[in-house]
Amino acid sequence: MKRQALDVFASGLAPEVRDAIMAGTTRVLEKRQTTLAEDYADPDSLRLLAGQVRQHALDHLDRYLPLAESRLRDNGVQVHFARSTGRALDIITGLVHASGTRVVTKSKSMASEELDLARRLADVGVEALETDLGEFVIQLDDDHPSHIVAPIIHKTRRDVAASFARHGLGDYDDDPEVITRRARRYMRKKFLEAKVTITGANFISAESGRVAIVTNEGNARFGLAGADVHIVLAGIEKVVARDRDLPLLLSLLVRSATGQRISSYVEFVSGPRSAKQPSGPREMHVVFLDSNRSKIVGGEMRQILRCIRCGACMNTCPVYRQSSGHAYRGVYPGPVGSVLGPLLKDDENFAELSDLARASTLCGACGDVCPVNIPLPDLIARVRVRSHREGTVHGKQGVPPMWSYSLLARHPMLWRLAMRLGQVLNWLPLQHLPLSAARAWSGSRTLPRWRGGRFRRWIRSRPRDQDG
Amino acid sequence: MQTPERDPIQGRKVQLMISCLCDAFFDDAARATVEVLRQAGCQVTVPSGQTCCGQAAYTAGDWEACRQVMRHTAKVFPGPVPVVVASGSCAAALFHEAPIAFAGEPDLPVIQDLSRRTWELTDFLTNALGVDRWPGSVAARAVIHHGCHTRGTATRDAVRALCESIDGLEILDFPDADQCCGFGGIFSVSHPYMSTEMGRKKVADVLSVEPDIVISADMSCLMHQQGIAGRLGNEYRIQHIAQVMRDASMGRAV
Amino acid sequence: MADDRKTILDQLGASLSQLTERTPYPQFAADAATPDTLRGRGPVLFAERLTKANTVVVDTPQALGDFLARRDAKIGYCDPELASSLRPWLGADVELDLEFDRERVNEYAFGITRATSGVIETGSLILTDRDTSNRLGALAPWIHIACLDPAALHLTLADAITGLGDDPNVVFVTGHSQTADVEGILIQGVHGPGEQVCLLYDLALPEGPGDPDQ
Repeated sequence: MKRQALDVFASGLAPEVRDAIMAGTTRVLEKRQTTLAEDYADPDSLRLLAGQVRQHALDHLDRYLPLAESRLRDNGVQVHFARSTGRALDIITGLVHASGTRVVTKSKSMASEELDLARRLADVGVEALETDLGEFVIQLDDDHPSHIVAPIIHKTRRDVAASFARHGLGDYDDDPEVITRRARRYMRKKFLEAKVTITGANFISAESGRVAIVTNEGNARFGLAGADVHIVLAGIEKVVARDRDLPLLLSLLVRSATGQRISSYVEFVSGPRSAKQPSGPREMHVVFLDSNRSKIVGGEMRQILRCIRCGACMNTCPVYRQSSGHAYRGVYPGPVGSVLGPLLKDDENFAELSDLARASTLCGACGDVCPVNIPLPDLIARVRVRSHREGTVHGKQGVPPMWSYSLLARHPMLWRLAMRLGQVLNWLPLQHLPLSAARAWSGSRTLPRWRGGRFRRWIRSRPRDQDG
Repeated sequence: MQTPERDPIQGRKVQLMISCLCDAFFDDAARATVEVLRQAGCQVTVPSGQTCCGQAAYTAGDWEACRQVMRHTAKVFPGPVPVVVASGSCAAALFHEAPIAFAGEPDLPVIQDLSRRTWELTDFLTNALGVDRWPGSVAARAVIHHGCHTRGTATRDAVRALCESIDGLEILDFPDADQCCGFGGIFSVSHPYMSTEMGRKKVADVLSVEPDIVISADMSCLMHQQGIAGRLGNEYRIQHIAQVMRDASMGRAV
Repeated sequence: MADDRKTILDQLGASLSQLTERTPYPQFAADAATPDTLRGRGPVLFAERLTKANTVVVDTPQALGDFLARRDAKIGYCDPELASSLRPWLGADVELDLEFDRERVNEYAFGITRATSGVIETGSLILTDRDTSNRLGALAPWIHIACLDPAALHLTLADAITGLGDDPNVVFVTGHSQTADVEGILIQGVHGPGEQVCLLYDLALPEGPGDPDQ
């Protein structure tokens, strides 16, 4: 039996990368914990509440999505719908071409990763510059983000300095302040040059048609101020029912993601610039991306769409922390990715990512930190059920089949016999058995002595304790 | 996950589920569980038809097999007598995972009934029987390992409270105590590299405070940790909470 | 594209009709996530919160002039409506550009614009399109000075968000721009200002359309 891909990846991960991720995730986890403990007597009650708020919006998305669309249109925004990532790409490429610009600035957006937007725009001769520092470095390296909030959590300052030097941004200097100043100098030329800016959306209010964009760097603000056209790309699940949901969700999002109380900038964009404002987009578009979300929303794993992209689940996941985001192969890593990934693209690609849900002990740490109370371990188990039902190859590797176990467990006489026969394990070298599970165990662990049957004999020798 | 609502107990009769791992490897832990329950005044029966709780099939995603095994378990442990389980993860399998696996099944009510009378050992002692002190003494430095399936349940406080009430038992904190040890049932063999790395980290964290014993309500995790420590040549003395309690009180009445 | 819209909405309807129950909207106060320790009122408290949020507070135009002199900030952009009130307090060698010149983006040491209101809970400044004479003036120079009337304050994030009105671009600014992307080390000043300043003073300007209730 071949080994599970994530396990192979983790075993090949360079120690410095693993150390960087351990350090990065530990830091943020501690900050999150401290802030929540300082601010709230009962942070869990807020998670539960936020979960209900999100689930309500999702359960009524057939009402809130058209409401959001209508409010956005009232605000002067052009609204587009894309049933697939391919369609979203067509729409955005069309808008960029129509603007006549060849330089586009882009803020961080996981939805845009679903489209592989920057690369696809580059294919048609458009420079789509990532402006978030971490994403900028990823772009320089032709890499992929390994975390949804901290894209270069897997890199050290030396890696970044080397990338900058390679791309003509100055001689090698790994001082983070120097790196940041260089990015600032480089980017502002681009912000002013780019006529189109593309952002994601943290939330879109169905009540006011407002798009909330959260950053610390100020890249979205500058991108908007410098551009003529603003394109927002957002999954349909980003819609929230009411404006009053935003203070709750924003408060939890930022605390969960970085341990801050609020990010440096929270921008509420509800339309093109006001009449007298000299800087800012004259034209605004929102592209709503479906990509299977409209199906997921009615299914048994629908709670996954509550996700507000805080990254806390991957920060806390012991499997993510030793394998890194790239081990997850798709757009979304960590616990959320192991459920969202296989479900999103479309049902045909479920199989390809079905092994991600195997890479978990169902320890529950993720479910405990999720600010919108997604029952992640339960959903991960459900993905396994589906991959078992569909017999996916990736899902199967290394997982012992359960038919023989079930047979024994339903027939107590056979079970008790197996308990006695198991003695043989005390003499057999596990590493050489034609049972991959035995080999997998004994590669790095001893097994206790088999003592099956002893307890049952002891109990039988005490008649009053037997079953009556 | 939370410990669910359970039916109030009537009388002191209990059925004991020992867990498949104790059946195979840890007979003394199972014995100690019987003795501890008897010390607490219970009449304990141990149905001979018991096999396994079915969790392995749940985590494997083969819920058909899981339901088959759980149906057998429900048959072997009929109501209304409460079921006490010597394992936090088996208890969680029955009260949290079973209802999920049986959603939409015609015999869901049977499983729900089973869930409502399933108790992990220390949860039962503390919350059903009201035992808040355990007599006797053990002179030892110990750490408590909480299996991940007890996350959010009453078991964690119960284990801690019982341990702290035993004279001479010094409970030590250790780094990253909350982090999974990497057993995860099937995960230990489907992802051996990561399982081992997580286990090594757990063992190192535990040994960093130099305990005499490692106590848990779950022998499954302890088996994995001891296995890892053993292969590294380290001594790692594991004890089920019931063994600690039995040793402390040496059969004295509660 | 109209096809996509219909496809998506039809699918949504079909999917959601499968649910046996739909989660109702829960009851909760809009400020449920405002920590008790961050409640409170008044400009004095606001000034403390601003400072905690890495914002330099100056409470008179004179103090602003002194601040700019200490920073050796000689060239900057200024909202034309604020210029006459502030000019007398700035050094004679300070040059104010009343129109943002994109060619000079790297020359401006500071930008002075109006903030519409503030949020006491978080120590945030609220900038709006209508009250900001030029967005670039507020975000491009290293130092941004937001002029705010101390009477125009919201108590909580919830108050501020639910009272947003219809300005097309409202920014909650809390301290300076920053990043921790490189090894989690916090660096001040990325694409936005590296220093955020608030002139918390009533310049007695005519009231704008976006002023909130206090």
